[in-house]
Amino acid sequence: MSFLADEFRPGTFVDAFRFMGDNPGLLAHKTAQHLELSGAALGIALVLALPLGVWLGHLHRGSFVAISASNFGRALPSLVLIAFGLTIFGIGFWNNTFALVVLAIPPILTNAFFGVDGVDRDAVEAARGMGMTGRQVLLRVELPLALPLVFAGVRIAAIFVIATATIAAIAGGGGLGEIMVNQASYRLAGVVAASLWVSFLAFAAAAILGLARRALSPRGAPAR
Amino acid sequence: MFRKHTRRAAKAAFAIALGVPLVLGGTAAASHRSAAAKPKIVVGTKNFPEQFILGQLYKQALQAKGFRVGYKENIGSSELIDTALKSGKINFYPEYTGVIVLDLARQASPKTAAATYLAAKRFEEKRGFTLLNRTPFYDSDAFGTLTTTAKKYNLKTISDVKNVSTKLQYGGFPECQTRITCFKGLTDIYGLTNVEFVPLSGISIYTALDQGKVDAGDVFTTDPQLASGKYTILTDTKHIFGFQNVAPIVSKKLTKAYGKRFTKTVNAVSAKLTLKAMIAMNKAVIIDKQSAAKVASAFLKANHLK
Amino acid sequence: MTLREAGGPVIPNFGHASSCVTENRFFCTDWFRAHWDDTLQPALLEHLKLSAIAVGIGFVLAFALALVAYRYRRLDHPIGLASDFLYTIPSLALFQLLVPITGLTVTTVEVALVGYTLLILYRNTLEGLRGVPEDVREAARGMGYTPTQSLLRVEIPLAVPAIVAGLRIATVSTVSIATVAAFVIPEGLGRPIFVALGTNVFKTEILAAGGLAIALALVADALLVGLQRALTPWARRHRL
Repeated sequence: MSFLADEFRPGTFVDAFRFMGDNPGLLAHKTAQHLELSGAALGIALVLALPLGVWLGHLHRGSFVAISASNFGRALPSLVLIAFGLTIFGIGFWNNTFALVVLAIPPILTNAFFGVDGVDRDAVEAARGMGMTGRQVLLRVELPLALPLVFAGVRIAAIFVIATATIAAIAGGGGLGEIMVNQASYRLAGVVAASLWVSFLAFAAAAILGLARRALSPRGAPAR
Repeated sequence: MFRKHTRRAAKAAFAIALGVPLVLGGTAAASHRSAAAKPKIVVGTKNFPEQFILGQLYKQALQAKGFRVGYKENIGSSELIDTALKSGKINFYPEYTGVIVLDLARQASPKTAAATYLAAKRFEEKRGFTLLNRTPFYDSDAFGTLTTTAKKYNLKTISDVKNVSTKLQYGGFPECQTRITCFKGLTDIYGLTNVEFVPLSGISIYTALDQGKVDAGDVFTTDPQLASGKYTILTDTKHIFGFQNVAPIVSKKLTKAYGKRFTKTVNAVSAKLTLKAMIAMNKAVIIDKQSAAKVASAFLKANHLK
Repeated sequence: MTLREAGGPVIPNFGHASSCVTENRFFCTDWFRAHWDDTLQPALLEHLKLSAIAVGIGFVLAFALALVAYRYRRLDHPIGLASDFLYTIPSLALFQLLVPITGLTVTTVEVALVGYTLLILYRNTLEGLRGVPEDVREAARGMGYTPTQSLLRVEIPLAVPAIVAGLRIATVSTVSIATVAAFVIPEGLGRPIFVALGTNVFKTEILAAGGLAIALALVADALLVGLQRALTPWARRHRL
């Protein structure tokens, strides 16, 4: 039996869906690994960046940090971070998580900062005039009004992390990337299948966050 | 009048958007057509350091004799590079004879190195390719573990693995899982049931062994790391790993177009590749972190092939 | 010490690595200096070339597409959707998928990289053009400008901040994604990184090549900020 020449033709998409049908267990396992890695990284990034961004925005301080984080974060190639992670942590859970956390922080931080920082000053003034403390202003006025931008940042981070987690396969991270780097075993159809699946997961995450944002947004908030 | 002018501007923009890629594509196609006289030699390699060295050796030796050589390094495993060969993206690459016979042609394992070479040659010639002379050195897969692991479970031959009570994680290149000269041979020919395959797509088996990510794995017999004593190879009593000399797979179009001068140049290089030479070059690249191109160049110069 | 096998080849002395390298310590400047010429600098120049071509072509295409969408509003949605989808395709997959079509060549990498830059550049250019206030366009018309003159002398210049902002983001992203190109063709700074990962996670090479990639992106970003400031002296008040 000789190997088929792997062309990329319209039929490859059909083959990709057949691959999905033929390998539900494999895809389920890899998807679970992928979501575990992405979820952990996103969660840690949220814990680190969200409070910091919100707090700085509330104080209207440190815009330079917020902007630089964005610019610097974009200049960090995911492959480089994964490789750095491997040199520091060795193979394990942390080397890939570290890389993805670093990549997820900038959009979350920047958007949280500008979201809160940019809240209509009149609304904030009015709230203070009503006697609210700083914290109350933050929780009851600034955060609700900042939600659109904050969620936009989380959404960007989520899509980015899910798409980038594929590279983790190079450093033993598992996930759908493991199918993508293994064209030898899974053929182009497998690569296409895994890629479609990653796109789907990214869109699904964005959609879920969109729903969450709508659920949490106060009525009558200005759409940004 | 407003609309007419913006429409013109938009049409111009559209023309640019279509024109740029067309011009680029056209010049690329034109350059392909003008070189149709004699086929360009395009050497490809698989995706590990020994292959980079081999690729550089053949490429530089040919260039020294005045041939024009294209070079596509790091294409991938045998399965992938075979696709590249068949689709004409390359027309020359160094392959292991046993891999051709057992994994690509899926034939039964011949009993000698010479028989393996002949069977491989016959297979390739049916497909429009041929095999030039094989190297003295061979590089087969092997079952490797940390020496401490081998001592712990008292492992000397691969069959001894049957006696290990825990499940062993076995690492290797992804394609190893489906190859009879690799993991599939362990499960099918040795009948091992306590090994689980761990695909390694970017990191080496030695890194994985050192960091405890796997208990054992697919190593190559010419790996310089084996000289350290830190790792042990289990004896392959059932000869699943085959005979693995290297022979360049070459398109018949090349031998026809360039004749004896071409084949003589390549064979002269192959003849010098003994086990000692290959291991020394592997060590220079993998352990001493020299560039494969420079190591190949030094070797060719020392042997008057460049 | 040259080895000579009886009747066999001459094996020259290839040189030994320092203990820093064999022990894989964090950064071995001796290796860095010894291999700048044969490994690091060529990779850096390849990377620069790959990125520059991609941004150049991407900019021309995106600009053209944005002008089209500026005029024909209905085309914006499909173009936007297409580039959105393209952006979620992991680069690792896209590079591989193009190989059967465009071969194991730089073209494959460029097609993918241009695809990725299109989204950013297209959006920013379009938003920049749309952001020109209507009264400014009215004023231009009032002054007797033809639509093309208005476009060239008023609208595009006012869209420059947004366009250059997009160019900044696209350039940095391109430099970043180009590292993955080494998965299919051995060019760019990703190549030394993959090689280093595949041997023994050779720290010096990873830090050197990775550092160069980050530096390249930051330098490009800084140069474009300079360009932005030079082209828009009236916008100095706003920090972007």
